[in-house]
Amino acid sequence: MKITDACVHPRPSGDSSVRRMALEAHELGFDSLIAIDTPACEYGGVEVFSGVEIPLAPTQQEVTSTVKHSRETGAFVLVQAGDNGRNRMVLGMRGVHVLAGIHDTDRYAFDHVTAKMAADNGVAIDISLAPLISEREVPRQRVLDRYYDLMLLYRRFEFPLVISSHARSVLEMRSVREFSALASVIGLDIPDVEKALAYTGGIQSPHSPVRVIQ
Amino acid sequence: MTSRPPTLREKRRYVLVRIDPAGIVPDAKELYYAVNDAVASLWGDAAAARVHAAVVAAEGEFAVVRCRRGTERELAIALITVTSCNGERIALRTLATSGTIESLKELIGSHQENIPATPLQSEEYTVDGRTVVVSHCSGQKVDVIEKGFKNATRFFLTTEDLEDI
Repeated sequence: MKITDACVHPRPSGDSSVRRMALEAHELGFDSLIAIDTPACEYGGVEVFSGVEIPLAPTQQEVTSTVKHSRETGAFVLVQAGDNGRNRMVLGMRGVHVLAGIHDTDRYAFDHVTAKMAADNGVAIDISLAPLISEREVPRQRVLDRYYDLMLLYRRFEFPLVISSHARSVLEMRSVREFSALASVIGLDIPDVEKALAYTGGIQSPHSPVRVIQ
Repeated sequence: MTSRPPTLREKRRYVLVRIDPAGIVPDAKELYYAVNDAVASLWGDAAAARVHAAVVAAEGEFAVVRCRRGTERELAIALITVTSCNGERIALRTLATSGTIESLKELIGSHQENIPATPLQSEEYTVDGRTVVVSHCSGQKVDVIEKGFKNATRFFLTTEDLEDI
């Protein structure tokens, strides 16, 4: 089981190099990282997977072509969540691994239909700890409210979850124990956190059962 | 004023934290404000009063934060959300919890012995078009800071990154 931080942003978008982030991740108890716009590598005993984050702006065609290109390169694809229509489109797309940024959307953007789609298509929903750490007062309350709502749907539909720090600096990275403690604030218990932290490692090195093909 | 008998005193717990990045030594009072702000912001004033957090000791890059017994979890989670102190970006890494300050001070001593002293390089490097100098070096980790500016940008690199530059 690989314990993975599902999204970090090393230099040039952050202030820390991917090697430094890998060293820090190792000390914090992680086995792997998904680093955005960084080639895959291994450093300091931590496996770094390449990731692509598709922001909110691109059109459906642009999203499709980026996902297709990422499928060829083997990169991990995170797509920023938008309104309900966009989320349904993204969740139905082959090659998308994670729908991120749910905390930035309104209440209707992720409903029972999209939750069921995420569960059926195996697309993970990202719980970013960054806004819980850095925001204060009303903005953080909004994020907590969105995550409480997400947990309600998670209990019902059991779609995959991933937890990420979205760190742009080693100062924003947190340990596995701290991930677990912060996740407990939104109602995720330890088995759920373990499942979420191990989910991305499972995608990168799947252990599927042997199938008989006739 | 007579002091309360031990059985009537409230029980306390002490949490040892390391302040990152290395080389930043915030004032204990400023750290107290940052910790209290984090506790009150996350849990509210009533819970903050129950936690009763205070920075009781600060030695270099380590600090000891006090709380009421039974509120360690709330304090530890709030400490995760401390991101700055007196305008400096910091992170607090919780190392241990104990019932006495003395045992944590022993731990600080053992941690300080384990930190390898790496000599600083005086060379200048260029990162993202900025001239930087090494501000801290520990093992493979190298922190560089923009030269000649107060509160300048800090980059977190490794020795291999410096060789590649």
